[in-house]
Amino acid sequence: MRRRILDIVMWSLFGVALALVVLPAIDIIVGILAQSAGSWSPELLFTPTSGVAGGLLNAWTGTLMLMALLLIMAAPIGVLGGIYLAEFGSQRLAQILRFGSETLAGVPSIIVGYVIYLVFVVKFGWSFSALAGGIALTIMVIPYIMRSTEAALRQVPTNLREGGTALGLPPSLTIRRVLLPMALPNIMTGLVVAEAIAMGETAPLIYTAGWSNSLPTAQLIHQPIGYLTYVVWTYINQPFSQAHQLAYSAAALLLVLLLLLIGLGRLISARASRFNDRFQV
Amino acid sequence: MVKVTETMNLLSTEWEIERLPFPRPDDKTVDRRNGSHRTPPPIESQNYLNTQQAMLDQGVSKVQLTDLRVRFGEREILHGINARFIDQRITALIGPTGCGKTTLLRTLNRLNELVPGFHVEGRVELDGMDIYRDVRDVRDVRRRIGMLFQRPNPFPQSIEENIAIGLRAHHIVPRGEVHDEVERQLTEVGLWEAVKDKLSESPFGLSGGQQQLLCLARTLAVRPEVILLDEPTSSLDPVSTQRVEDLLVALKSRVSIVMVTHNVQQAARISDYIVFLYEGRVVEANTATEIFVNARNKVTEDFLTGRMG
Ligand SMILES: Nc1ncnc2c1ncn2[C@@H]1O[C@H](COP(=O)(O)OP(=O)(O)O)[C@@H](O)[C@H]1O
Ligand SMILES: [Mg+2]
Repeated sequence: MRRRILDIVMWSLFGVALALVVLPAIDIIVGILAQSAGSWSPELLFTPTSGVAGGLLNAWTGTLMLMALLLIMAAPIGVLGGIYLAEFGSQRLAQILRFGSETLAGVPSIIVGYVIYLVFVVKFGWSFSALAGGIALTIMVIPYIMRSTEAALRQVPTNLREGGTALGLPPSLTIRRVLLPMALPNIMTGLVVAEAIAMGETAPLIYTAGWSNSLPTAQLIHQPIGYLTYVVWTYINQPFSQAHQLAYSAAALLLVLLLLLIGLGRLISARASRFNDRFQV
Repeated sequence: MVKVTETMNLLSTEWEIERLPFPRPDDKTVDRRNGSHRTPPPIESQNYLNTQQAMLDQGVSKVQLTDLRVRFGEREILHGINARFIDQRITALIGPTGCGKTTLLRTLNRLNELVPGFHVEGRVELDGMDIYRDVRDVRDVRRRIGMLFQRPNPFPQSIEENIAIGLRAHHIVPRGEVHDEVERQLTEVGLWEAVKDKLSESPFGLSGGQQQLLCLARTLAVRPEVILLDEPTSSLDPVSTQRVEDLLVALKSRVSIVMVTHNVQQAARISDYIVFLYEGRVVEANTATEIFVNARNKVTEDFLTGRMG
């Protein structure tokens, strides 16, 4: 009897916790979609912003560009760092790296943005630019990618790791062909989350990427770039309903990109790990 | 308990290293070398003759352990092991749970080095070469001393790649011949017919027994001289167990086999020699026949008759 009551209490608590997480999420999503529903049109997607009106072409292409830059820079560094921490974590250098990464993870993103501003935008004279923005985002998410990669590798069953070693495979081969395929789904999840976090950031971009009404080009420095969060962040404070519409549309577009990103991540990790789907620990 | 300790003292003082664990067939050689020798007990049974025969053809020792001590951190797990594993024979390592069988086995291919706090003293010799001191390429040691684990652990690669990866890493055959060699290895363990149409598929779709055979093929592919097995059939069904046992017996002609087993019957079925481990010490080591018919130690007897773990 007591166990039954305990059970009921437990499950109620789980239910409340779940509701606390899920309901606000649904509320936000529904709210944004409802608010922006009226303004969905091809023009929205395919014309650039002009003043507080126009479309979002410059913003969403800019966001994609920043995401691509981020992926190119942060993924290799973060994943390699995570592999290093997981496989050679007892070395002195690894301990220094871990300490640095943990410290960096605690630095507020606006400060990261400010430091990049001082160094790259001002000192190197890049002015507001895609590359400066990309670097700010990269520095922000690298600790996260390193940590999730390390955790993913540590979760690979010892049994498999030792199988490679016992066969006399070089450590690099064991890592590449045995550990990474097993860890890949979790590494991918980490990357997707990192991209999602970065995609939703405004603070580190305002002083680094700036803002631009025109489309991004191959010019990575000396030229500012637009991005969706800027529209959400600044236009919502403008006293024009058109600006509000654009802000909500930008938020909706961010959600869509987020879903695409998650879907893409799933697809890639499913393909990349097609051999370990039925692994029994 | 007191008795056990006494026996161990007896073992460590009276027996000389050279004569452990298997009495030499030629007693005179032994006599000349270290003077004192306890004559084998007179047994007038058929088994005695078998023992004699087994000793006569016991051959050279492939792996020899001399006063091997293993610690994890502060805790000593193996307290001075002396043992020999004879070439082209199956030696079963038996003993109650926690006596150090797995630890001993994993020390033989330096796999324990991956464990933090692992510390080893004494000698582990492969063909007279100390694998902890005389070796530059630890990977080649691990190739020469292969290992099959308690649970099948195929790599997350295609079935074919599971075999091919070792072939390429150790340059066993020229690249162009890898595919044929994969077929040869899979055929050898009797898996070819079952997997030939799904070589590019995941190994995790295979049954547990098939996965274990794949792992055996993977190990054999790199031409090991010794194979270590840690309760290789404990997670398998009887039919797969039978297959693995048959294979091991067939493999004897090429490799030395050291097998940890929980299963005394299995040791009786396929092993030539038995090393009985108890609380991190070798209590008794002899031919399987001799151990089963004529265990010299009460602890061994208790274990074999199931009065202990
Ligand atoms: N990595 C380790 N670290 C510390 N102690 C260990 C480790 N592995 C095994 N041991 C200890 O060594 C003893 C022998 O273990 P093991 O070799 O697994 O025994 P067996 O295989 O005979 O059952 C046990 O008491 C176990 O707790
Ligand atoms: Mg064990």
